[in-house]
Amino acid sequence: MALIIPVIFIIVFVFSLIKRVNVYESFTEGISSALKFTFSLLPCLAAVFMMCALFEASHLSDKLCSLLAPVFGALGIPQELTKLVLIKPFSGSGSLAYLNEIIKNYGADSYVARCACVCFGSSETVFYISAVYFAGMKVKKLAMPILCVLVATLVSTVIACLVCRVM
Amino acid sequence: MNLIFTIICIASIIVLAFTAPDKLLPSLLGGAEDAAKMALTLFCIYAVWMGLSSLAEKSGLSRGAAKALKPVTRRIFRTNDDEANENLAMNLSCNLLGLGGAATPYAVKAINALEKDKNDFAQKLLFVINATSVQILPTTVIALRASEGSASAADIFLPSLICTTVSTVCAVILYLLGRKIWR
Repeated sequence: MALIIPVIFIIVFVFSLIKRVNVYESFTEGISSALKFTFSLLPCLAAVFMMCALFEASHLSDKLCSLLAPVFGALGIPQELTKLVLIKPFSGSGSLAYLNEIIKNYGADSYVARCACVCFGSSETVFYISAVYFAGMKVKKLAMPILCVLVATLVSTVIACLVCRVM
Repeated sequence: MNLIFTIICIASIIVLAFTAPDKLLPSLLGGAEDAAKMALTLFCIYAVWMGLSSLAEKSGLSRGAAKALKPVTRRIFRTNDDEANENLAMNLSCNLLGLGGAATPYAVKAINALEKDKNDFAQKLLFVINATSVQILPTTVIALRASEGSASAADIFLPSLICTTVSTVCAVILYLLGRKIWR
């Protein structure tokens, strides 16, 4: 599987050579659009990250966690995972740091850590993606799609905790 | 997003005003700093993948891939726009290969192309598919487990595949149902 990335690069480079594309120029062109793209994301990123920082600093996130832990427990989600499941939709780097902590505390092959890994690997940063995708678009009524994604993520989290018991 | 942002910010600021008013400004600045760092990381990822994708585009490689996938993307997203179909095809293939960093720019381009036709069904569907993660191999997590001394770091592969399939299928069904009900 580790070969996928080198193979893709080789195919694209060789194909470009055959088609007589100016490789250096096109590559640089791509990077300059990457720069523009990153800049267009910055306002959304800054706002969302400030919101997360406030949420964390006010300890409202901890309160929400302790409030939801019993609910998650009833669904079969270990309470150690509550915070991870709640942070993941907002912040990829934040939840990655938390996942790292879980793996260190419980050991990479423990049930909790395996659950955490599956939940992390099979979900996405929903709010971040919605901010990036729809920045500058006129699309309205995003609440319904976002809700669908969140419900589906919760369902898959419950299934992750079940599957990890047997596999 | 507007509603969530406003509610969370106001609630947090009120709580902070009572518990630790001196922490308000540092946490806002810290958030902005995290965003700047994140933007730098993202730029690095996008520089690699958008550089490569520009090559694939110029050489006609992505057009070829798009042509092969067009019957699929056209039917799923109900669009005839060539540019949109090309970007949709590339987004889906990058996602399946686990190249999340490469997938995002294609998704944004596809959404821009779909904006012309006001095809908000396809835009939201693309969001739903991407936001539930369609990754086949969770490379980051496997690498992390291996570095922490797991006996078999890749054994979460099958559970992850099951969960990511369930979440995507479930979200798409919910979305299609939701559209019917709210119409």
